Amino acid sequence: MPKTLATFQNVTKTYKQGAVDVHALRGLDLEIHAGELTALVGPSGSGKTTALNMLGALDVPTTGRVTLEGTDLSTLSRKQLSALRRDRIGFVFQAYNLIPVLTAYENAESVLALQGVAPAERRQRVYALLEEMGLKGMEDRRPDQLSGGQQQRVAIARAIAANPAVVLADEPTANVDSETAEMLLDIMQRLNRERGVTFVFSTHDPRVVAHAQRVVRLVDGKVQSDERK
Amino acid sequence: MTGPNLVRLAWRNLWRNTRRTLLTLVAISFGLLMAVLFTALQDRSFSDMIDLAARLHGGHVVVQHPEYLDSPTLDRSVQDAPAKLAAIRALPGVQAAVPRITGNVMVASARGSYGALFIAYDPALESPTTLSFLEGVQGDMLDSADGDGVVLGTRLAKNLGVGIGDKVVYTATDSTGEIVSGLARLRATVGTGAPSLDGALVLLPIESVRRVLGYTPGEVTRIAVFIDDSRNSPRVRDAVNATLTDGAVALTWDEVQPELNGFIAMKVGGARFMELVILILVSASIFNTLFVSVMERTREFGIMLAIGWTPRQVSGLIVLESVWLAISGIVLGAALTTPLYLYLKSHPIDVSAQFAADGAPMEIAGVGIAPVLQVGIFPESVVVIVCAIVLATLLSGLYPAWRAGRTVPVESIRLV
Ligand SMILES: Nc1ncnc2c1ncn2[C@@H]1O[C@H](COP(=O)(O)OP(=O)(O)OP(=O)(O)O)[C@@H](O)[C@H]1O
Ligand SMILES: [Mg+2]
Repeated sequence: MPKTLATFQNVTKTYKQGAVDVHALRGLDLEIHAGELTALVGPSGSGKTTALNMLGALDVPTTGRVTLEGTDLSTLSRKQLSALRRDRIGFVFQAYNLIPVLTAYENAESVLALQGVAPAERRQRVYALLEEMGLKGMEDRRPDQLSGGQQQRVAIARAIAANPAVVLADEPTANVDSETAEMLLDIMQRLNRERGVTFVFSTHDPRVVAHAQRVVRLVDGKVQSDERK
Repeated sequence: MTGPNLVRLAWRNLWRNTRRTLLTLVAISFGLLMAVLFTALQDRSFSDMIDLAARLHGGHVVVQHPEYLDSPTLDRSVQDAPAKLAAIRALPGVQAAVPRITGNVMVASARGSYGALFIAYDPALESPTTLSFLEGVQGDMLDSADGDGVVLGTRLAKNLGVGIGDKVVYTATDSTGEIVSGLARLRATVGTGAPSLDGALVLLPIESVRRVLGYTPGEVTRIAVFIDDSRNSPRVRDAVNATLTDGAVALTWDEVQPELNGFIAMKVGGARFMELVILILVSASIFNTLFVSVMERTREFGIMLAIGWTPRQVSGLIVLESVWLAISGIVLGAALTTPLYLYLKSHPIDVSAQFAADGAPMEIAGVGIAPVLQVGIFPESVVVIVCAIVLATLLSGLYPAWRAGRTVPVESIRLV
């Protein structure tokens, strides 16, 4: 029996767009299991980003509940949510994840720095991590001196450096070529296998989907299918 | 250090848009330059004017009869000057204190007679410090042995048609209302820079005037107190007042000459207004820079907030950026201003050509103004200007900082 990490319980999200209500989620029920690599797929507008934002404590449901590690996120204050994101969640966005004026190393260590981890320990952990990501020798480069794929690897390093409970990645490969996408997926798969990092990512890319253990298909803000390999 | 290095990050952020930052720095430093030079001209001309006025009219602090100001007649005198002088000279900050008798006289020569203002002083006590308003001395100033000498303003001597060595008669009303007169020989003519004064200035030795007026040996109309810095006048006045017991009060130069003070207040008001305008321009430029740069970085702030930065840290970052902007602006401004200031200090700008048009030098309340622009800033003024710029920078950064901290990650990140 896999350990439950997060749950969506009958979650709805309605955006008001002028007079029109846009229903981004219409009763989403989903359980995320620790240690899994889950892909959220579905047509554009099906609610993938909305779901990830809620799991990442960046957005709140209109109705229903989202829990992470047993905590109902709606019970937490802004401050607690901020600390939760820092300590328990890793984020990888589609593109331009990094702070342009910080080097690859500084970007990768930034969550650890926010946590107040001592510089010596940061150094040791982040250098090892960047090496593992195939970024040895690029530690002092600024994001604009890195390729899109390298930038995403730095973002992944930043996301996992503090050992979060889950890494959320919204279309992490949308802005890179397919070869780079393969490589990023390989890395995530390896981190998942070797370090037990839990990943939830959204994607349109069928090749990316192939790397996932579990594929959840959303349509119209609801789960249409949920397959495990 | 633990936690993100906000200071370093802020510094780097400042240089993301080099051109914009440089333009802002130029604005700040130019503002500083303007404010400093403007204030330096003011500070200097005010201290010069106050000084001149004080020397001419009897010191930065004046001790006189309580009713002398209402009506300056010779019966309103101060007694026991030597004892009072000794007490005043012992006070801190007092450069010199001298007895004087001043009043109105008629001066007559063979050619005619003119109303004038006389200042009777003790040649043994008065030094170039206390008489430094005099310029262009022709002849020899009075000396202590000189019982019947007189010094006249250049114009007055010309009007009277007298030269060095010639005799003049002066007539005054003494303390009892009697008309009294004395005879004196012209020893020197002097200028003051103020044409009206040059036409009406009579300097006499105090002993002969006492004799003529029937004053007692310790009797004077005023004691003139000179101090190092005219801005300390009120403090010294209070100290002097504390030494006085009867029939005499101490007043500051501006209490004695309200019209000059009014003029200075007006000019200071003008300076403050100019400084305010400069400050607003500087603030606007800083605000623009920070605000635009914050608006361009919403996605970045969204990501920072998403990964665990607190709104306070994000806002703090922008505040630090404004601090860096202020520091850099002031350093650049100082680098620009200092050499120019020092140059102007050693090379005053002669603007007499501009004044030559109407023929006469400027004078305000009987005080001549040298037609030369000289700088000399009070240290406090520098502190005030620098603080104002730092404060303006910080205030201009507050709103952008607040906006940055309030970035909503979901919204800003969606906008790739
Ligand atoms: N802030 C918002 N205001 C209004 N409507 C919104 C907002 N955010 C999302 N929506 C709408 O909610 C629906 C779900 O959006 P969401 O971004 O979750 O879809 P998605 O599955 O991520 O799509 P895509 O594959 O294109 O990224 C869409 O119809 C979208 O237009
Ligand atoms: Mg999406």
